[in-house]
Amino acid sequence: MKKVTTGFIGRHLLLISFLLFTAYPLLWMTLTALRSEGDAQQRPLGLPAQWTIDNLREVFASGNFLQAWQNSLLLCSVAVLLAIATAALAAFAFAQFRFRGSNVLFLLFLLGMMIPVHVTLIPLNQLLGADALNLKGGLGALIGPYAGFALPVSILILRRAFEAIPQELLDAGALDGCSQWQSFWHIGLPLARPALSTVLIFNFLTMWNEYAFALTLLGPGCQTVPLAITEFKGEHDLRITSVCAALLLVLIPLILVYLFAQKQIIRGLTAGSIK
Amino acid sequence: MNISSQSIRQGRFRFSDVCLFLAPAMLLYAVFVLTPVGKSIQNSFLYWSSPLLEPEFCGLRNFRELFGDPVFWLALRNNFFLLLGSLLVQLPIALGIALLLHYPTWGQTFFRAAFFTPMIIPTAAIAALWQYLYEPQNGACTALIRLFRADFTYAWLATPGTSLLWIFVTICWQYIGFHTVLFMAGLSTIPEELYEAARLDGASELQICRRIILPCLKPTLAVSATLSVIGSLKYFDLVYLMGGGLPETSREVLATYVYRLAFDENQGRYGYGSAVAVLLFLLALLIVIPLQLRKPDRN
Repeated sequence: MKKVTTGFIGRHLLLISFLLFTAYPLLWMTLTALRSEGDAQQRPLGLPAQWTIDNLREVFASGNFLQAWQNSLLLCSVAVLLAIATAALAAFAFAQFRFRGSNVLFLLFLLGMMIPVHVTLIPLNQLLGADALNLKGGLGALIGPYAGFALPVSILILRRAFEAIPQELLDAGALDGCSQWQSFWHIGLPLARPALSTVLIFNFLTMWNEYAFALTLLGPGCQTVPLAITEFKGEHDLRITSVCAALLLVLIPLILVYLFAQKQIIRGLTAGSIK
Repeated sequence: MNISSQSIRQGRFRFSDVCLFLAPAMLLYAVFVLTPVGKSIQNSFLYWSSPLLEPEFCGLRNFRELFGDPVFWLALRNNFFLLLGSLLVQLPIALGIALLLHYPTWGQTFFRAAFFTPMIIPTAAIAALWQYLYEPQNGACTALIRLFRADFTYAWLATPGTSLLWIFVTICWQYIGFHTVLFMAGLSTIPEELYEAARLDGASELQICRRIILPCLKPTLAVSATLSVIGSLKYFDLVYLMGGGLPETSREVLATYVYRLAFDENQGRYGYGSAVAVLLFLLALLIVIPLQLRKPDRN
């Protein structure tokens, strides 16, 4: 047993005070969602005078968010799958083939991590607009930019995973007459599964939260979750309790997923950034 | 063995395979990332007299205008404020928390998961929530201070000069847990024997921290710093979202300025906006490339 020293207590006090900083805004939001509007205006702190779930029911009934959830899920799934499929192929080539210009090409992909997405907003707006691809306004407009910007990190992580595959395995496959495609499909992909899940989580959450592209390229009537949140806040700005109820409804599923897959999510998000 | 395996692979290697594997990613990347960047550079030399008309070539006019534009300099200054803030405030706090959690702690996993939570919340939701916390009349921040000073009222986000500071507090709220987790991962790679040896030699905790932990943590620190630098240069979300729609230039950063020039208020200043965007990109390259180039010799 560890002895409980003053240092031990002090450490926990510091940690708890930072926990308050992190948790209080979320707690405040939850409590506000569960009180009446007049109560929220008069006593913003403390527990509700009268607990109520009317706000939640009201937001839920309005149905704005259901559509946005569907849109976001569909969009992010398609874009993540596209990004992972193309990135895995390219990463396998970078890891296993020696060809002229491979380093230059790889660096070109890495460069993408440094490109602020806002540099591409104006040209993409033109490219996807009515004069060219005519995808602007719908979910289809976001798939390309999301997948394209997900490539650099994904290729970097997956290349490292493919490089870690023991050479003997691939040689054995080659001796048995595996084509490059077969060794990618039957040896490479199964062995890179941890890296694939990292890439999946990292990209999914990044796209899920993405705001600038969605704001520019989506039209009215077609929203992702972040856009729906901002719009709802804009329309109900003076009803704090309604907006907090909406936020709570958006966050509950996320927090639930986080509770169950906490380890994988933390690993996915940090590994995605460390590269 | 090695030589023969090489030859097997070389023998089986066909150029068409390379194309097959690389083409989809190349296509996607070229259409949606590289071409737009090139187009942006081209746009920065053009002038649109109206968003609907054909642009005309105007040479360096956009860039010349840029250097005399006070909003551009203000935005640049604000970006550097965020950059310094994240390096000098965010990272040290995150490091401190990671060190606290590195010692035997009750509920270490719980604290780690709790501190990380803001990272999974959409930034749009964070912005909405914190705008209410900063509400001048009955937001939680105001109400907390009113517990001590009854007549306190303060327009947190609408006071020029300080509004960016409060947005920065929110940015810290979002990202400190993330950097904490990065640092914890770095700390866990330091072998236990190093501490034991140091303790046997009678080193104090402070000495262990300075002589063992910090040097071993250098690679992680470099990663965190690089991420913070890139992140604060291209920062957009909270600054734009917490603006409340007001054309408030005092907290403008480069990315929000690009957006506002091109898309807000029907300005449609594509050429000028592109010039700002190109400078933003060059700045990112200029700062990040030296940081990235230093990495290989460290490994």
